Amino acid sequence: MKPLIKSLIKSLMIVLVTAVVVHLAVILSAPNLLMAVAFKRLSAEGKMVNQMIHPPRTTEASRAIVRPSPDLAYSSCAYDLSKGPVRVKAAKATDYMSVSVYAANSDNIFAINDRQAPDGVDLIIVGKGQVAPAGTAIVVQSPTQRGIVLERRLAPSAEAFAVAELARKQDVCAPL
Amino acid sequence: MRPALKLGGLILVGAGLGLVSALAMLNQGMNIGKETVQGWVGSHVSGDRTADPYTRALVARAGLLALTQAETLYFNRTTDETGKPLRADCTYQLEGGAQPARWWSVTIYAADNYLPVNGDDAQSADAMRVAALAKPDDQGRWTVQVSPQKGEATHWISSKNSGNYALTLRLYNPQEGARKDFKSIAFPTLKTISCPRTPA
Repeated sequence: MKPLIKSLIKSLMIVLVTAVVVHLAVILSAPNLLMAVAFKRLSAEGKMVNQMIHPPRTTEASRAIVRPSPDLAYSSCAYDLSKGPVRVKAAKATDYMSVSVYAANSDNIFAINDRQAPDGVDLIIVGKGQVAPAGTAIVVQSPTQRGIVLERRLAPSAEAFAVAELARKQDVCAPL
Repeated sequence: MRPALKLGGLILVGAGLGLVSALAMLNQGMNIGKETVQGWVGSHVSGDRTADPYTRALVARAGLLALTQAETLYFNRTTDETGKPLRADCTYQLEGGAQPARWWSVTIYAADNYLPVNGDDAQSADAMRVAALAKPDDQGRWTVQVSPQKGEATHWISSKNSGNYALTLRLYNPQEGARKDFKSIAFPTLKTISCPRTPA
């Protein structure tokens, strides 16, 4: 009887420890994995890196990012700093506009809105060991080589979307 | 051979349990956060780099690329005024006034965290359109109908084909008081108008 109980406890322990390790591994890696999926989607499978893309108005068919707002015009840039810093410019807006930078672990490492940048946004993202040119007003240090820039412009109606569409044509995301 | 086989089996069972429990954790992310005020669930930590691993994972699952609290407060609601889950076949009225933010919106999301697919093109209400439709004597009060059919409503959100849906309130550039104390926010109130006796 005793050896049987002992072996049963040992078996249970093996199951339990494995379960805890796998559970934690999934939870801890979820932000990185989900960001990697988003990076792929927003860069057309890696073909459109370091460039601003302007998808059409959000509809019920939009599936790139969870919980999209139908009242915002989203633009994005999947950045890769392996060949050097990347410059991001967002044209000035007449209503709410924001630019946020997300590292590969999903951290929102930087955000700025139209009130803080009334003339538009102009920033440079640098990776580890990289330096921005002297005189750069906004330098964003990215802890990871890859990440995503997301721009939001208020556009609750077709007319407002047209205004945002016109403005965002001047946006830039490009290697320095 | 047999002990190795047994060990492999045990590890497989353990890995399965770990995976299933983690995914279950991630999929119940509709109500991210810690504080519920008048049926609206908000989090003081979403978008915060110090958030615990579970909150981080949940936010990544149901709110990837969300903004920080200074930029936007997100509140989620999945229940009616009595605490019962929102039903796609019921008619509700959402009523509110000015929100403590530069701009606000209420958007419907199906259980998969995307906009419901119903062809109605009525997924949200927002400060700009509500103001445009408001009469001068409204004093900033607005009402929006949430229902599977538009009916007589001037402003509506379609819940058709939305299953177990959630309503998300976004407050853009919220006032500091609202950020610090969710209880200070005059949230939109939800009222059940009618419900078919048996869920469709």
